[in-house]
Amino acid sequence: MTDFFNALLHHSFLQHALLAGLLVSISSGIVGTYVVTRRITYLAGGIAHCVLGGMGFARYMQTVHDWAFFTPMFGALLAALLAAFIIGVVNLKAEERIDTVISAFWGMGMAAGILFISKTPGYGEDLMAYLFGNILLVTQRDLLLIAGLDLFIAATAFLFHKQFVAVCFDEEFARLRGVNTQLFYFLMLALTALTVVLMVSIVGIVMVIVMLTLPAAIAGRFCRRMGPMMALAAGLCALFTFSGLAISYQPDLPAGATIILLAGIIYLITLTARR
Amino acid sequence: MSNPIKIENLSFSYGTLPVLENASLTIEEKEFVSVVGPNGGGKTTLLKIALGLLEAQSGSVSVFGLPPQIGCKQIGYLPQYANLDSKFPVTALDVVLMGRLGKTRRFGLYSKSDRETAREKLNRVGLSDLHNRPISALSGGQKQRVLIARALVSDPKLLLLDEPTSSLDDYVEQELFDLLQELNDELTIVVVSHDVAYVSKYVQKVICVNRQVHIHPVSAVDENIIHKMYGEHVHAVRHDQEHGHD
Repeated sequence: MTDFFNALLHHSFLQHALLAGLLVSISSGIVGTYVVTRRITYLAGGIAHCVLGGMGFARYMQTVHDWAFFTPMFGALLAALLAAFIIGVVNLKAEERIDTVISAFWGMGMAAGILFISKTPGYGEDLMAYLFGNILLVTQRDLLLIAGLDLFIAATAFLFHKQFVAVCFDEEFARLRGVNTQLFYFLMLALTALTVVLMVSIVGIVMVIVMLTLPAAIAGRFCRRMGPMMALAAGLCALFTFSGLAISYQPDLPAGATIILLAGIIYLITLTARR
Repeated sequence: MSNPIKIENLSFSYGTLPVLENASLTIEEKEFVSVVGPNGGGKTTLLKIALGLLEAQSGSVSVFGLPPQIGCKQIGYLPQYANLDSKFPVTALDVVLMGRLGKTRRFGLYSKSDRETAREKLNRVGLSDLHNRPISALSGGQKQRVLIARALVSDPKLLLLDEPTSSLDDYVEQELFDLLQELNDELTIVVVSHDVAYVSKYVQKVICVNRQVHIHPVSAVDENIIHKMYGEHVHAVRHDQEHGHD
């Protein structure tokens, strides 16, 4: 463990990784609380997997057609927001079972991503990084983007805290009180999409859903209000990220997987503990 | 002053399935009314139309003289709490504050006066020492009171309760109706219930909904007979003043 702290002092890549993890934790705590209380975990999972389509498309256009500006992060943002919007519309308008619709997008997003990546020269490493994350590859530019999105998510959550809590708890009543519940539903999905994209760079597409829901679920066992639940979830997420990085550093384990296992174990322990 | 609710010749169907046919009813100010009828008879549909959540295919609906989408601001609505997540991380006060939406500022947290009003209403429904209790730790009757306080906190002129007694035992149910009767001094009250036999001693008018709508005054004439049949607190219902047709 001392090796980790020594390395932290000397290597900027590790400092970036840690900073990214801590910044993402803020959004994760806020949005994770919405996702858990509104019970849209599966929807968030669907959005996360659609991200692969966007990243694959971006990588393909960058490599094959020289669209240099179209970075995988940009592609991910586009795909996540689009997926959130479409799933939201289908949920509100169509009389189709929502979990079936999400499954369709979940699989199609993955499939599109794999097709694009397989047609992009030198695809192997990209795919692994997208699926399982590589926190050690976070650049200074990524950090700026993460900080910016963080600020946007936290500000939106604060400004509309009343409306979000009411919509999560009792949508029909909120609508009768004049709240534009559809708007806030879509806003909530958009915030979820943004947070998912931020987390993909840390833990990867496959494990986003764990990092989004478990800290909030643990916090929910100890908090009786939404605000404190968000704060505790963010703190736990930061703690898991930090500990996971530290534990994984010396034995050279994949950081994302270590973070996820740690979060999962703590979650299972709190399940057995009494309230 | 316009009637709290006035419905004329209203028909509603889901697709080709008729739910309400040519229904008319008027609810007067300060009345205490019970809406009864079997499940699937159209009670919930009627309620949602009055709240502006559904639109009727024909007929007219007005809430305090306004279209329901606007008039519903004057209604304090109490949904069935069984539909709400009882483990949701909110306190009694948080839930009541939700009733201030639409009256409070749009951005940021609730104001001090919102909190004061909410606390006042919690005291009004007899929960003065439970403001900060999480709803997961409240009993069924207490949760129901929290929802009443939430409905009252927007200063409505009409209180509309959907199956408020469905999961309460008799004693708690009677306490609830005592509270409603007190509130009736200031408000019009409409209680929706699937229990046809249960017509409380508190109610002045019964609206029976089973595709058609019939309105009955609660009459004390045959009370003795009914008491023998159903026990206490049940009043006879006379089928006169019919609206719609059989």
